[in-house]
Amino acid sequence: MTVLRAENLTKRYGRREALADCTLDVPAGRVVGLVGPNGAGKTTLLQLAVGMLTPTAGTITVLGGRPGAGPDQLAKVGFVAQDAATYANLTVADHLRFGARTNPRWDQAVAGERIAALGLDPRQKAGRLSGGQRAQLALTMAIAKRPELLVLDEPVASLDPIARREFLRALMAHTAEHRTSVILSSHLVSDLERVCDHLIVLTASRVRVAGDVDELMGTHYRLTGARRDAADLPAGAEVIEHSATGRQSTFVVRSVVPIDDPSLTVEQLTLEELVLAYLSRSVAAHRPELEAAR
Amino acid sequence: MIWFTWRQFRTPAVVAAGALAVVAALLMISAGGVSDLYSGVAACRTDCADTVESFLTRFHNSASGTIYYTTMAVMYAAPPLIGVFWGAPLVAREIEAGTHRVAWTQSITRTRWLATKLGLVGAATAAAIGLLSWAVTAWAGRVDSAAADRITPLVFGARGVVPVAYALFAFMLGVTVGMLVRRTVPAMATTLIGYAAAVAAMPLWLRTHLAPATHETPALDMGKLDALMISQSGEMLIEPDPVADAWTITNRPITTTGEVFTGPADPTRCGPDMPNGSCADWVGTLGLRQDVVYHPGNQFWTLQWIEAGVFVALAAALAVLSFWWLHRRSS
Repeated sequence: MTVLRAENLTKRYGRREALADCTLDVPAGRVVGLVGPNGAGKTTLLQLAVGMLTPTAGTITVLGGRPGAGPDQLAKVGFVAQDAATYANLTVADHLRFGARTNPRWDQAVAGERIAALGLDPRQKAGRLSGGQRAQLALTMAIAKRPELLVLDEPVASLDPIARREFLRALMAHTAEHRTSVILSSHLVSDLERVCDHLIVLTASRVRVAGDVDELMGTHYRLTGARRDAADLPAGAEVIEHSATGRQSTFVVRSVVPIDDPSLTVEQLTLEELVLAYLSRSVAAHRPELEAAR
Repeated sequence: MIWFTWRQFRTPAVVAAGALAVVAALLMISAGGVSDLYSGVAACRTDCADTVESFLTRFHNSASGTIYYTTMAVMYAAPPLIGVFWGAPLVAREIEAGTHRVAWTQSITRTRWLATKLGLVGAATAAAIGLLSWAVTAWAGRVDSAAADRITPLVFGARGVVPVAYALFAFMLGVTVGMLVRRTVPAMATTLIGYAAAVAAMPLWLRTHLAPATHETPALDMGKLDALMISQSGEMLIEPDPVADAWTITNRPITTTGEVFTGPADPTRCGPDMPNGSCADWVGTLGLRQDVVYHPGNQFWTLQWIEAGVFVALAAALAVLSFWWLHRRSS
């Protein structure tokens, strides 16, 4: 069962490529972290997934249908946009009523409980809520819709650390209970580390790596040893990052077979180090162009 | 979605209903006074010109005269206000605040989202301006028939069905501009300018082509001249009286060969030292004709329905454009 499948998915704005040639296959039941620097194309990918945008080229299928294709498809996907926009002049209760009247599977009990648990006054205008409360209201609307997939674009970016923790805790409690698939983006790995079991790294409009966290952790290593070329590494090791200091070389490699070379020290990476290796690789790939331009 | 659209639209709707109620109250209170003034005209059977003239003078000098001009201003202001305050923010404000992403990811298509908005607010527009125009047209009926001027541009645009069509056009213009511009305040300003241009172009250049005008060339009646002026160089400007109960488009003296008569004046007959009427008598001997083009008062409803049709068609075209745009652009 696939929750999101993209093939050569591309979105261009004029000549600028926001997302290029993206091919993905995200299994159902995962909490997927979409990580990359600002401007990498995370929002574009998520908006394509919910049907806010249409692809320039390639295809995207979400839960077996074209995103935003009709009421049934819309009902299956819950979405909280980057700014967690709400109607400033309408009350919390108005928002819930809007959800109730436009979504066939709306769960008013869940919505009411969450609002009560958050300590929000239903008569309060959304424009008077704090950023964290607005994000929680938007999440409540998306959850009470009872979607099969929840798409959250930078849901915690604007929140303070406490609101951030509460938001993620609420999200985890919900997904554990309802086994909803979730895709959430962030430019900080630390936000995603504790909650995600699947990771997509996106930089400069392209997907660099995607996979289950356990699998990624089990196939990436840091190798340290006497100075050498990448070509001298054991077969099957794909170099992600390479740095050398004096007589010592350090590599971050991906390898499906365990590295067994007595001349190298093999270490496990943290998720953050793994992501950083991919991010710096894409920066390194761009550097020659920059130098040529100078 | 209907409930939600109503919830968003509630405050503007209440404001509009309040304004409508104020106008209705003013008209009802003053209607009795107009009837009293009019009783002389109603009783008059023959040679009523003076009675009518005296009614109009007394009417315009009374409080009802103020109400007449106030309602005229209201009739012209209401459609653009609807375009600016109901139309322009309808979509632009959602895009500006990002709430369109909330609306478009509930389980309703964005086509239905826009259709509900346009349907509900469009219906409110037609109802509000329809009621207003009906009340004003009925209230001013006696004055309009006494003054026989309802087909003249200023009165025409404030009576009957055209204000409703203006309002629907203004509303759809606001919505469409808002979708294209995506920011509320610039959309409001653009809507106002666009609306003013379209509605001003109508009487200035277009309305006369909506129905055939009457063209006549009777002999120039020197007893019915609005103005006769002579410049220092002897150039003459003669303006015949406008046609009664009609919208006069062209009205000028022409010579027997069909050219517009502009003099030169005969210095032996025309001039400051000549006896009164000498110049007019001389002009009378030239065999001039009057070249007059006009729309008679009985074309009022023909022009009303055609012009209303034009603006409703424009509104419909804008609606089609807005749905097309909604699907073409995404985000």
